[in-house]
Amino acid sequence: MKLWQKIFLSSLALIILTVNIISITLLNSSSRLLLERERNHAIKEYEYFAASFSNAVVYEKLKSEKVILGDDEIADIAERVLSGGDRMQTPAVILDQDGLLIAGSDFEDILRSPEFSKSLKSADTEGDSYNICSFRFKDQYLMTVCSSLKTEGKTYVIATASDISEIYDMRQKQTEHIRRVGLAAAAFVSLILLMTTILLLRPLNRLNIYTKSIAGGDYKVRIKPHGSQEIRELSENMNKMAEAVQERSDKLEKIAEDRQVFIANLAHEMKTPLTSILGFADILRIKKNVPDDERREYAGVIVDETKRLRSLSGKLMELVALGGTEIEKKPVSLSDMIHETAAALAPLLSKNSVELECSAENVVIMADAELFKSLLYNIIENAVKASPKDSRIVLNEAVSEGNAVITVTDSGIGMTDEEVKKVFEPFYMADKSRSRKAGGAGLGLALCARIADLHNTTLEIDSSPGEGTTVYITIDGGEIRER
Amino acid sequence: MINILIIEDDENIARMITAALSMVDYNGKCCYDGKTGSEEALKGNYDLILLDIMLPEMNGFEVMEKIKDCGTPVIFLTAMQDVADKVKGLRLGAEDYIVKPFEALELLARIDVVLRRSNKTQNIINYGDVSVDLTRHEVTLKGEHVQLTPKEFDVIVYFLQHQDIAVSRERLLSTIWGFEFEGESRTVDIHVQQVRRKLGLKDRLITIPKLGYRLERQAGK
Repeated sequence: MKLWQKIFLSSLALIILTVNIISITLLNSSSRLLLERERNHAIKEYEYFAASFSNAVVYEKLKSEKVILGDDEIADIAERVLSGGDRMQTPAVILDQDGLLIAGSDFEDILRSPEFSKSLKSADTEGDSYNICSFRFKDQYLMTVCSSLKTEGKTYVIATASDISEIYDMRQKQTEHIRRVGLAAAAFVSLILLMTTILLLRPLNRLNIYTKSIAGGDYKVRIKPHGSQEIRELSENMNKMAEAVQERSDKLEKIAEDRQVFIANLAHEMKTPLTSILGFADILRIKKNVPDDERREYAGVIVDETKRLRSLSGKLMELVALGGTEIEKKPVSLSDMIHETAAALAPLLSKNSVELECSAENVVIMADAELFKSLLYNIIENAVKASPKDSRIVLNEAVSEGNAVITVTDSGIGMTDEEVKKVFEPFYMADKSRSRKAGGAGLGLALCARIADLHNTTLEIDSSPGEGTTVYITIDGGEIRER
Repeated sequence: MINILIIEDDENIARMITAALSMVDYNGKCCYDGKTGSEEALKGNYDLILLDIMLPEMNGFEVMEKIKDCGTPVIFLTAMQDVADKVKGLRLGAEDYIVKPFEALELLARIDVVLRRSNKTQNIINYGDVSVDLTRHEVTLKGEHVQLTPKEFDVIVYFLQHQDIAVSRERLLSTIWGFEFEGESRTVDIHVQQVRRKLGLKDRLITIPKLGYRLERQAGK
């Protein structure tokens, strides 16, 4: 069952129930009031009748100058009072103390009814109280009043009956009326209720459609928050949720895309040397006469390109190895690492006739020595590759503002700002043919970036074309152990 | 002489292609970026252009857009294996699309197909007493007509176009019988023997152990 149906049906049931209870209560109290009035009326009639009877008895006694009237005289008087013209529309009866009828008008049938005999029995006792009883008699409702009267040394029971059918008829009519009005009101109320419920819950419907479209993968949709406070809050929160989902999915997409690009670049980087290798090897294999110089040239290319593949796979392995593993940091001297790296680079430096000038303060940092040397090696190697012959690279290491900063400055070809932005991307080469000639795979700086990440270190590059490049390696002060 | 323009940024690959082309006496000229490549293509009179896609300055597709009006057939060379790229290249008007890395003879075979399509190859090849007319599908030995089956004809033409090059049975199978043909290399042997016998090439079309066959270039040529 849907929410609007639940709300609608439960409110409707509640309203109808309340209205019915109220109308029944009102009806009851009004009929009780009427009944009370009828009762008083009946009692007055009874009293009037009883008084008439007593008066008639006294009058008769005075007239006949007897002290005590006999039974026959009493019966006569009773007969006279009962038939006495003006008042007796009401059925009335006078019984002696044994319940025997002395006189009555229109009362024979009533006397025989069980309800009246029951009331008569309880009225037999002494006292001035009236015994009032109302019951259904034939096709009408009657209210009987009976009480005892002492006169002439005897106790008589007098009873009157009034017709109160009118009250019951009225009640019947009122009930009927209320039922009809109630039905109409219920129909009207239910219509209004239905409209309000649907109107109030319409924002939910809107939210529902919106959620569906988010679930369907459209993370860009946003709902306009309006309507009641709750709905507004809900829509705002849902917008927040959609935003979070979108952010996360964008992030994942970016990662997947990066990976895709990485793989495409890797395939390209592998295929380029492979093309030369396969092509030249094939030529050497199928060509009949290969002159010596050609053979040497072809084989030379094959060797170079194979080396390139080897370096690529080596760098790739390093990059993969750095991907997930936690590194083990130990306190190591930065200046020691710099000098060791410089020593390892000596052959390359002399081959390119480039001089490396190092000045280093003695600082001990927490680092994985091999990885950190590899970072330094890559950066100096890049500087060497970019440098012209007989130039100089300056490496300076000092503590500034609590951080250890290493600067590597060359006076090489330099790069544009555009190029600087891309240098840390895997496989990016500022100068492709130059870099390849030097055996680069375009992974060196990507590797450096990873290593720097693991050492709380930032890499910044300041470069201008034709003037040279400076790399700032800033090691966070937190990694410094000794100075 | 067939002139082919190679637009390829990797020098070694460009050298390799030039070396491969020189085996069949094609003349190769190299350009290392898209800009000079497209200028050269528009300026020079080339029979065919081999065009790399990832190029500095201008990529291969841009070069293609620029030079497609000059009518020179183009074959794309690329490391990308994307079908979308292939479709894009072919839609731009390229004749073929070769994925790196490739064998030298595969490159030559693709080049031959394109050159033949654009009628840039010689129509008559003479080899000693043998003369082959490619358009009329006729072979004569010392002026006399020789009956060859269509496959035998293809075999002799292929050898004549690749003189002094060792051709493997697999290469012959894939070029002449098509890649889908799953015949045994015996088929190749039988056809080669037939050609040898019919054209008297016993000493010229020689068997190279473990490799295949080679048609020796005529002395003095």
